[in-house]
Amino acid sequence: MIKSEKTICQRMKQIIEESESNIKMLFKMPCIYARTSVLFELSANTAELNELCSQLIENENRQVQPTQSNITIEQLSQFTGKNGNPAYVAVNGIVYDVTNNAAWAAATHFGLTAGKDLTDEFASCHAGHSILDKLKVVGKLI
Amino acid sequence: MIEKNPGICPMLNASSGTAKNLIEKIKSEIMRNSLVKRDLIWLELTGCSGNIISLLNGSNPDFKFLITNMVNLIYNNSLMAAEGEAALDALVNKTGSDYILAVEGAISTKNNGLYNIIGRWKGEPLTALKAVQLLGDRASHVIAVGACATHGGVSAARPNPAECVSVQSILKRKVIKLPGCPCHPDWFLGTLAHILLYGEPELDDRDRHLLFYSMLIHDRCPRRSYFDNGVFATRLGEKTCMFKLGCRGPVTRIDCPVRQWNSYVNWPIRDDTPCIGCAMFGFPDSMEPFISYDTTRKR
Ligand code: HEM
Ligand code: SF4
Repeated sequence: MIKSEKTICQRMKQIIEESESNIKMLFKMPCIYARTSVLFELSANTAELNELCSQLIENENRQVQPTQSNITIEQLSQFTGKNGNPAYVAVNGIVYDVTNNAAWAAATHFGLTAGKDLTDEFASCHAGHSILDKLKVVGKLI
Repeated sequence: MIEKNPGICPMLNASSGTAKNLIEKIKSEIMRNSLVKRDLIWLELTGCSGNIISLLNGSNPDFKFLITNMVNLIYNNSLMAAEGEAALDALVNKTGSDYILAVEGAISTKNNGLYNIIGRWKGEPLTALKAVQLLGDRASHVIAVGACATHGGVSAARPNPAECVSVQSILKRKVIKLPGCPCHPDWFLGTLAHILLYGEPELDDRDRHLLFYSMLIHDRCPRRSYFDNGVFATRLGEKTCMFKLGCRGPVTRIDCPVRQWNSYVNWPIRDDTPCIGCAMFGFPDSMEPFISYDTTRKR
């Protein structure tokens, strides 16, 4: 789902606060293993910040091109990931590219195949997970 | 005052030696005579008995160590000397006392379980369904071993003629789940050792033992750099990433890349076979196709 700028900024502030307290903790921590795990957390934080920045940029781009390519369900059905074609799936009216998504090997994922509207299937397993923000958007399903 | 980086990641390092460490601890407790042997019941229900075969292949420790030092094996239909009603006596008499229950195979539910009869007790057929109901609630711990017991697996694959279900679908209690087709001997022995030493191990949100089931195959795959650089095998036998052929490593949580099989000598991906997700819920139906030659374009 596309997040609003406000939610993105709130999350960024949260991450920055967490990181600051982690950094304070690092100065005092005697155990190198615990420190390693805090460092991992910090690096996850920077990764998420990076991700959030990309989302901000993407939001901007969306506004610049309000009419992304419109894709009909017939057109979508060509993008099965077979015969050299890319693999697209639609969720909630948006078409995503899963061609090179690791979880979609051979354009299949837990018995699902690409080239379809998988809104219901997605909701049945991934409701509330932030998975879609990481996928490349190719257009709108019309 | 920042100390030098320890260099190697202690977490990953530790995860490669988990079962071994637990077993070492078990051995020292046995030496000190402080470990109490517990009773173990191993039911083979609707499946291929591959998990007990896999366990017999365990090397660290081996099966003999398990049954002489760690547990009293009260019942296992493939391995026990008693047969017929005498064997079932051992099983039914156990229900009043303390025991750990391991179940391999799914539970066939069609016609009230009549598709899988594991023996006769006082002239009546004892179905797999009845056995699990009888023994499941009273066990101190229930461990579902292998794909069929944890989620139905091959036995519940379409069209599932015997209406097989997982152990959890029958029991309203915590069932520790060790998916895999079959379960690696270390995953079971490590879990059992943990129960003997410390009680129930830490589990994830699907009740899998976190010690073994926390990493994705894709996380530690030796072919990962090929994936990251978009270098994909187009047919079996090539040494690059098998993602385009349908590798399920990216959705399968288990430690095969570091543990390996058959006394730690090899594992599918090193032998040029894509991961087929045998240790993931939904195997086999949800992991198909296992191999696909008709693929997307290169990156
Ligand atoms: C349009 C439909 C779907 C899309 C686009 C999708 C996408 C993804 C992606 C990108 C991942 C990687 C996880 C990550 O990046 O954090 C993933 C993981 C996963 N998906 Fe889906 N998915 C879909 C439908 C389903 C369905 C219907 C199921 C249930 C049967 C499912 C079960 C899973 C599971 C269990 C994992 C996690 C594996 C793990 O990390 O342990 N997905 N999915
Ligand atoms: S072979 Fe499979 S597990 Fe290994 S990097 Fe490729 S997709 Fe991931």
